[in-house]
Amino acid sequence: MKRLSLALLVVFLAASVAGAQHIRIGGFGGNDTIIVEEMIELFVRPALEGTGITVQYEPVADDFQRYIINALSAGTAPDLFYMDVLWAGSLIQSGVVEPLNAYLEKSTVLKPEDIIPSLLDAFTVDGTIYGIPKDFNTLAVFYNKDLFDYAGVEYPNNEDTWDTFYAKLEQVAAIDPDIYGLALQPEFARFGALAFAAGFTPFNAEGKSDLSDPAFVEAIKWYTGMAETGVGVMPQDISQGWGGGALASEQVAVALEGAWIIGALKSDAPNLQYGACLMPKHPGTGQRGNFVYTVAWGMNAASAHKEAAFQVLEILTSPEVQQWVLERGLAIPSREALADNPYFQQDDPEAQANYVVFLGASDGNVLPFSFGSYGGDWTGPIDQALSAVMSKQATVEEALQEAQQRLDAVMGR
Amino acid sequence: MRRRSSQGLGERLAPYVLLAPFLFTLIVFFGYAFVRVFYFSFTDYDLFATPKWVGLKNYLNIFRDIDFTLAMKHSLTFMLVVTTAQTVLALVLALVLNQRIRGINFFRAAYYMPSVTSSVVITLIFIWFFQRRGVMNFLISKFQEYRGIVGLFLLLAAALQLSLVGWEKLRRRPVSLFEPSFLFLSLLLSFIVVFSAVRFGLLTPREVAPVDIIWFNTTKKWPNFLGSLAFPVPLGAIMLFNIWTTAPTFMLLYLAGLQDIPRELYEAAAVDGAERWHMIRYIVIPQLKPITFLVVTMGLIGTLQMFDQVAILGGQAPRQSTITLAYYIYSNIFPSSATPRVGMASAAAMFLAILTSVIVYIQRKVLGEEGDHA
Repeated sequence: MKRLSLALLVVFLAASVAGAQHIRIGGFGGNDTIIVEEMIELFVRPALEGTGITVQYEPVADDFQRYIINALSAGTAPDLFYMDVLWAGSLIQSGVVEPLNAYLEKSTVLKPEDIIPSLLDAFTVDGTIYGIPKDFNTLAVFYNKDLFDYAGVEYPNNEDTWDTFYAKLEQVAAIDPDIYGLALQPEFARFGALAFAAGFTPFNAEGKSDLSDPAFVEAIKWYTGMAETGVGVMPQDISQGWGGGALASEQVAVALEGAWIIGALKSDAPNLQYGACLMPKHPGTGQRGNFVYTVAWGMNAASAHKEAAFQVLEILTSPEVQQWVLERGLAIPSREALADNPYFQQDDPEAQANYVVFLGASDGNVLPFSFGSYGGDWTGPIDQALSAVMSKQATVEEALQEAQQRLDAVMGR
Repeated sequence: MRRRSSQGLGERLAPYVLLAPFLFTLIVFFGYAFVRVFYFSFTDYDLFATPKWVGLKNYLNIFRDIDFTLAMKHSLTFMLVVTTAQTVLALVLALVLNQRIRGINFFRAAYYMPSVTSSVVITLIFIWFFQRRGVMNFLISKFQEYRGIVGLFLLLAAALQLSLVGWEKLRRRPVSLFEPSFLFLSLLLSFIVVFSAVRFGLLTPREVAPVDIIWFNTTKKWPNFLGSLAFPVPLGAIMLFNIWTTAPTFMLLYLAGLQDIPRELYEAAAVDGAERWHMIRYIVIPQLKPITFLVVTMGLIGTLQMFDQVAILGGQAPRQSTITLAYYIYSNIFPSSATPRVGMASAAAMFLAILTSVIVYIQRKVLGEEGDHA
């Protein structure tokens, strides 16, 4: 009797598990919480009605990468999770991310060809796809129209080279000692795009990083030189955390940022008249440089409901959802078909800024913001060098020598 | 007979039963973790793949890592400076607060505030204070502008006080140098004079450029004459701050110790004509030896494990200017956007554990033996 009831219980439990599949999605906290919750409410839940699949978003407020490493290692990770291109490589290498090729072959909705190839490549290792890019960002020149009007200077535009761009910034900075041309974030994540324009690549043919590369030296001198002449300023020195904050403060005329700045400007400086254009070209190479920042959906290799998780993934990357994301001005979706989207042609600063950011991914020397298995350890020494030079604690040569040593130590580990 | 033996068993078991909850957490969270870390320190492990045995390679690697040597140097400097300063400060605070003055409980509570406030919150406020355009630099600028005026005010007050006291002394009246009523009078007069001088434009603040000291984002070292033993400025800032937040806890221990010193000892010393300083030197300090031992031990362990303030300061200061051993361990397990290096971190953790034990052992030898002689 006892045994029978136990068996019944087991059968009952198994049935209920098969009927209700609970898919957990892990991602960033903050703004993403609202966006993804709304996305799930508007698109995912209606589409999954009757399938018995339930979905829940689990935002992580602090250091997502640390969380996901811990969770995957401990076996408590969500079924679907964000993967930043910066650290996706080390997760994929560890074998905890499910290869998606088999699912993609069967899928009628989601095809690899639909996704912008350069984005997909960033999550493809030896022909195996490990993540579906959800959206991306690049850098663009965001400028305060009022400050340029006040100085009587032409706005930055897509034809600017470093020289003409510098001349414009110089004139704007001349308005007042407390007004600066460019927000100079001491980070490779901004400065690197300029180094790329000059022809620098993080890893040369031998796989080494050479900071004495003339292209790199030229770019760092140009960038940090602006701090010395007062044409630019580090956001930290005007009590701002980043370029967007500096632009919103109206003390700085230009910031090199991605589309993420749009939302921040909307809430922090709603009356700011801003415009956006492509990054300036290097006068020698005639090229622009840029980073592609992208985040993909990855699937947990240890997930109990992989088929259901992929179904959710299909909805999250569907054309309707991506159109919605685009129109909300949240990010630039990863589907190639969106290039001719009427949204981009609107006469609206947000839509135009988004379009500039979209174009940035395919113009000039564009590289993903990822540095092999070194991750943020690779950019750290360069960030420190930039900061040391711009706070006048070291010359460019001294700082680069130190950075090269530290970089060699990181790469030799 | 049987009953007695079972009673004996119960009695013998009782302590273990009572200890069980604590032993359980100790074994699970410390014992087990320690054994795991010990094992991982001999392996190459990234939290996912099965650990690979590599022998002593991790131990050799950490000593080749410039960050590790830096971290060790920082941790040792931090330990020496902070433990010394916080012990002395705690003792001084305790002596000051061990007096019978009105409102002493308020002062005790106020001085204890830094220790009860969350370290994370305090560190954040501290970061704002030390920004390039923060309160600290502002105050220093203001001080430089007004130091002439403030100096004049103080000089004038001192001169007035001296002449008042001198006059009384001439008339052979007993008067202390800090006679409160005179002090009040001289300060007030001095204030009126200086204030009106500023008011009518006779005195103007100096024109100085705003102070622009970079407190965090710097690799500068201090003090220069120590050469390679000098520590980075940001680490110095953390030291100052750490002393301020930890000293009050130790002050509390010293206060408790002070209350335990028998009154007769002071009375006997007073009869022998001892001054206050003699009492401190020959009664208080020797009597407090066991407390000092505890304070120094806890200070050494705490400072060697210093982590949170470095972690929160994070990107504000260059890594090589703040990294400590505990932070080195953490940054190897969770390196920014790279594969975890659990083996290296475990080896460093083992090293830190051994280092701590050795230092505490030495300290016990030194302080403990001195204590026996006293």
